[in-house]
Amino acid sequence: MRIALAIGTFFILLIHGIVFYDQFFHRWERNQTAYFDQARAMAKSDAERAALSDRKPRIEQIVVSNFGETRVDRCTTCHIASDDPRFSTYAEPLKTHPYSIAMGDVQKNGKWERRHKFSEFGCTVCHDGQGRGLEPKYSHGEDEYWPDPLLGHTTQDSWRKDYAPKLKGKEYLEANCAQCHTDPGFAGTATVEKGRKLFFATNCYGCHRIEGLSDGTIGPDLTEVGKKWKLDYLWGRIADPRAILATSIMPKFNLKDDEIKALVIFLKSRKGRNFAETEIQRYKVKLTGGAELVQATIKPVEIKPAEMLKQGEKLILDRACTACHKLGARDGGIAPDLSFEGSIKDEQWISAHFKNPKSTMPDSIMPTFRFTDDEFKAMTAYLVSLKTAPALTNGEATYKALCLRCHGDKGDGNGPIAIHLDPFPRDLTKAGFMNSKSDTRLVNSIRNGVAGTSMPAWGKMLDEEQAKGVLAYIQTAFTKEPRRELKARQIPEKNPIAMSAESVARGEAQFVNRCAGCHGKKADGKGPNSLDIQPKPRNLRNARFVDSVDDRRLFEAILYGVQGTAMPSWIDYGLNNNDVGDLVNFIRAINQKPKGGQNAGTNQ
Amino acid sequence: MAVNLKRSSGTGASTEQIQRRRMLGWLTGLGLFGSGILSAVSNFVFIKPRATYGQPQRFSIGKPDDFPPGTRATLGARSLCVVREGNKIAALSTTCTHLGCIVGVSDTGFACPCHGSRFDQDGTVTGGPAPRPLPWYKLTLAPNGELEVDKDIEITPGSYLSL
Repeated sequence: MRIALAIGTFFILLIHGIVFYDQFFHRWERNQTAYFDQARAMAKSDAERAALSDRKPRIEQIVVSNFGETRVDRCTTCHIASDDPRFSTYAEPLKTHPYSIAMGDVQKNGKWERRHKFSEFGCTVCHDGQGRGLEPKYSHGEDEYWPDPLLGHTTQDSWRKDYAPKLKGKEYLEANCAQCHTDPGFAGTATVEKGRKLFFATNCYGCHRIEGLSDGTIGPDLTEVGKKWKLDYLWGRIADPRAILATSIMPKFNLKDDEIKALVIFLKSRKGRNFAETEIQRYKVKLTGGAELVQATIKPVEIKPAEMLKQGEKLILDRACTACHKLGARDGGIAPDLSFEGSIKDEQWISAHFKNPKSTMPDSIMPTFRFTDDEFKAMTAYLVSLKTAPALTNGEATYKALCLRCHGDKGDGNGPIAIHLDPFPRDLTKAGFMNSKSDTRLVNSIRNGVAGTSMPAWGKMLDEEQAKGVLAYIQTAFTKEPRRELKARQIPEKNPIAMSAESVARGEAQFVNRCAGCHGKKADGKGPNSLDIQPKPRNLRNARFVDSVDDRRLFEAILYGVQGTAMPSWIDYGLNNNDVGDLVNFIRAINQKPKGGQNAGTNQ
Repeated sequence: MAVNLKRSSGTGASTEQIQRRRMLGWLTGLGLFGSGILSAVSNFVFIKPRATYGQPQRFSIGKPDDFPPGTRATLGARSLCVVREGNKIAALSTTCTHLGCIVGVSDTGFACPCHGSRFDQDGTVTGGPAPRPLPWYKLTLAPNGELEVDKDIEITPGSYLSL
């Protein structure tokens, strides 16, 4: 019993001892003692010795309030010799911070003078890390929960092993230099500038918004990306977007390591607010959307008429179009195949689509790129020249070459790029739909395309017979059910109700009551029920589509419904030709172009 | 009881047991006493903070060349007056020892605007309610060539740093 008590109390004493040692004997104290000893040994004059005489180990701190929130940097507690030039050859932590002409340090009478004095700037303004930390693990940010480990120096254990070595190096510090040195031509931030150029050259700006630089809306806003994410995440999202987020639609750009590094450094420098910016400057770029900056950054290519095609090809390859589109062997896996664009689109359409993709396909996710007219012209000319059709021997080969990318190898509309298309490609296995349409109508869809959607007109590549061959293949391979005789339907050829304000008003009332549940209050196909419906309700604000279909087809769809979809036959709900006429007038009215507006491109 | 009786019957064993008991008792006491001392010491050390918020007490005030001979420059934010005569330089506090107002430099030395205390060039009280002279702080030349003031260390008035 007493033995246990004695051992127990000694155990308590031991724990007390350990805690005491841990709390009151620090590594930094030993560092400082070592520094004082060595400095005393080096001292040449009495004054120098006197300066050290009263120095005892203590926590040194620099309080910096000029750069954002007040920082308390205790780095010099361990790195106590950082501003003592006599220790330049010593090992860390007792090493002089190097002097460098690039950083603005000057040598006067053989003595260096710092441009960025530690007493003014502190340490974490440039280096990141945890200023208050007194143990290397925490002060250097090795702890995985610390958001800013020492830039370019400390990597955290949770970082991907293959990225970590690439995330070290002095260049990363440029991201923090750029917090004040915002001038693009500044020599000290050359990598940031390289990254900025790449941000435009690889078309990142098309999808991502950075306040004052770009206004893309497809991807996340990157204005404060440097504040939110660590280097390994930035690197990972660029190098392999889907490794971090399986549902990411960001293309993999296949950049070289040094390009990714420049982009990471550029992104790390985007922290929303630069210390050098004034409110007025920020407001100014907000007003102009940074258009001037963009134009200054992307150098327009001078297009020579003689080399237009060549230059167009180079532009399309340089500007990362194939990060989404397919062109020959290059395939981004997100957007349609451009390999034979000249055979399916004309110059006018391509040109309009370039300038504003939504003008030809209202629901396209393609960003609007800010290239010059001449560049667009050259790129258009190159695309128009692509007329080499793939081998289209029979229906099956044709389907595989042209249709599979969107409609999928099973014909269910789930092709490799289908999720990026709106409207979604038609599910060709739905016999209800396929067998409710006449062969003429289906062949017509193939040869003339569906305006306002990603379905192009294949008419220039496929003649009547070939189109029928494809249809026959689809019907036997995917639809499978035998064709049935179509029932005769009573459908007016022309809308019996004349267009008038009253008719539109009646149609609108009818629409809100009957149609808005699926097609939405705005008629954009995004009603509350649309979430559960596949295929999605038609966006009735897609003017190109609505203009391309005649009254007869609208009447048929409303009166008799669309088989194989959620659209019911409204005859059963008591709508007559007059009601439908009002509805059709309403749908036509909301798609009318404002008077004097430009109707760019053709209806395809 | 029977067991106890049996044990106490052997005298040699009994003394051995008592010695061992006493020894263990001492050890226990020592352990507890040691822990107690350590805790008490920790508590006392803990009372004084190792680092305080706000600007550090030792700081750099610039190069000696910034203060040419004959200077009597006040550094407002630091409440300091840097005095240089020839190659001798010193740093005086400008916080009045009476109620802590910041004294101004006058022809004869320092004058406090609040209650009229007067100090001469060396900070000695020449009039008014101030109880003590203005303290002189330790001034050193740091290895990077800048002057450093340590407000934690007061030195005897009149001791200058020779450059």
